[in-house]
Amino acid sequence: MTPSTPVPAQWPDRYGNELYRFALSRVSDADVAEELVQETFLSALDGLATFRAEASERTWLFVILRRKIIDHYRRQARVSHVGLDEISDGGPSEADYFAPENGHWTAQQAPVSWLNADAALEQQELHEILQRCQDRLPPQQAAVFALRFVEELSAEEICQELGLSSANYWVIVHRAKLQLRRCLEKHGLGKN
Amino acid sequence: MLLEQQADLPLGRGQRASLWLHLRYCPYCSRYAKQTVLIAEWARASASARASSGMVLSDAAKQRMRERLAAAE
Repeated sequence: MTPSTPVPAQWPDRYGNELYRFALSRVSDADVAEELVQETFLSALDGLATFRAEASERTWLFVILRRKIIDHYRRQARVSHVGLDEISDGGPSEADYFAPENGHWTAQQAPVSWLNADAALEQQELHEILQRCQDRLPPQQAAVFALRFVEELSAEEICQELGLSSANYWVIVHRAKLQLRRCLEKHGLGKN
Repeated sequence: MLLEQQADLPLGRGQRASLWLHLRYCPYCSRYAKQTVLIAEWARASASARASSGMVLSDAAKQRMRERLAAAE
């Protein structure tokens, strides 16, 4: 039975693995995930006086970890903060995907059919490929993508967290998706 | 970008009509519209699968954490 008063010395054994897996599912780097768990425990210790027994200790620690993960993305995005004009981060630009003269998809980048897409969702391999593709995104795009589609923050919350204008935000989301699609196709999605 | 925006914000009537018409006559865009939804679904499913994997913190890491907590108490 969970005691009503938290016992910090027991947190690593009691909640460490679960928090670590959650952190690792978000940041993919084992050292960073470990660091986030440690920061979570230290912040929880600092805020022990604010812990209310009606929330479970586990839930409380997860709330703190989630905040740490968002802070991690914010730092990641700020390291590579760029303006709208220079948002390509050295990655493919709009011109690689769309013909400048008419805005249509270029022949090389036009989306191919993902006939195997439904089955792919069940595959462990897809998860691994998607993670690798996410890791290859420029840091700011990776942070925005994760906050929107994994943490499920709203566009408004993300703009606030990362100090982005909404125009900038939409461009980043659009480019992240374009690059992920291309990366997934490069790794076999759509080749039946 | 209207495709992305419609997931977060209700588009105006004109924008909705414009997007519908565009997707109707641009098969690549229509295909991309479906793919962009799939990518978002997969990202969530993928994180969820990793969160329930068998990965564990090493005993050494747990020990370090216990020591940091004891030092901070």
